[in-house]
Amino acid sequence: MGAEIAALMGFFGLTGAFAVVGTVLAAWMAWRIVEKAGLPGWTGLGAILLTLTGVGTIVPLVLLWVFAFMRWPRDEPAAGAAPGFATASATGPAGGAGPSAPAALASPSMALADRRGWQLAGTVAGGGIVALAVDGASGTYVLTAAPAALPTDLSLPDPSVGRPHARLLAAGGRLGIEDLGSAGGTFIDGARLLPEHGPRDISAARAIRIGSVELALSRA
Amino acid sequence: MGDPVTWILGLGTLIVSAFLIGHLLLALVLIIPTWRICTRAGFSGALSLFHLVPLIGSFIVMAVLAFSTWPNGEASPGRR
Repeated sequence: MGAEIAALMGFFGLTGAFAVVGTVLAAWMAWRIVEKAGLPGWTGLGAILLTLTGVGTIVPLVLLWVFAFMRWPRDEPAAGAAPGFATASATGPAGGAGPSAPAALASPSMALADRRGWQLAGTVAGGGIVALAVDGASGTYVLTAAPAALPTDLSLPDPSVGRPHARLLAAGGRLGIEDLGSAGGTFIDGARLLPEHGPRDISAARAIRIGSVELALSRA
Repeated sequence: MGDPVTWILGLGTLIVSAFLIGHLLLALVLIIPTWRICTRAGFSGALSLFHLVPLIGSFIVMAVLAFSTWPNGEASPGRR
């Protein structure tokens, strides 16, 4: 009888150990997933740990549905973005979260607006160097792999670049970019820009990737 | 009363069917939101079908979402 009880206790102990490991693993992964969406990690951790409480699995299930259909902070424009543009999730001075970002400073007045142009420089397939100039005042430009047919076409002869690929919008000393549904993708400082994101402010971005072409952004 | 063996087999079939239907319903409740999460992250929605795998299916989906780079971009560290 004692052996049977010991075996039973061992079985439940093993099951319990698996349950603990599974819960900890799930909590850790949930932490990482919600962080990638822009939410605090503890919300994912808490949702998983709720299964250990009296509310069972119903509340975490509801929270899963809420998480799936809610608006993620990842997709929202950063605070302080100019009207008409949403700030890209950029790192460095553009992010507004780093210690070097002058977040407390007011926006510069229109009289002090920087009217310099922009330059995008990079290397396309085959080793060719491209340098695209964008007028800083205002205008709309199209990035395309095709040869420039219009003055507003910026040609990037690379197989990974679409025809057209993306649109550049210059207005009020700021520069924006909009993906036009390209297959190769558009990336702002490493973050993917989708067509549904609309135009994003890249004035403070450092690198724009068009397909596989890495372009350094600077003022002309 | 019929043959006991037939009766037991019928009962077993009923229990297995009930478990199967219950598992499919629970998986469906998990698959729908996970499908949307996967597509928003940039993965194929079909990844959420791993929920149909008993016991470890949910862990596989979560592991992919947690430890791989999201093709549609992730929140920058300053946002977290």
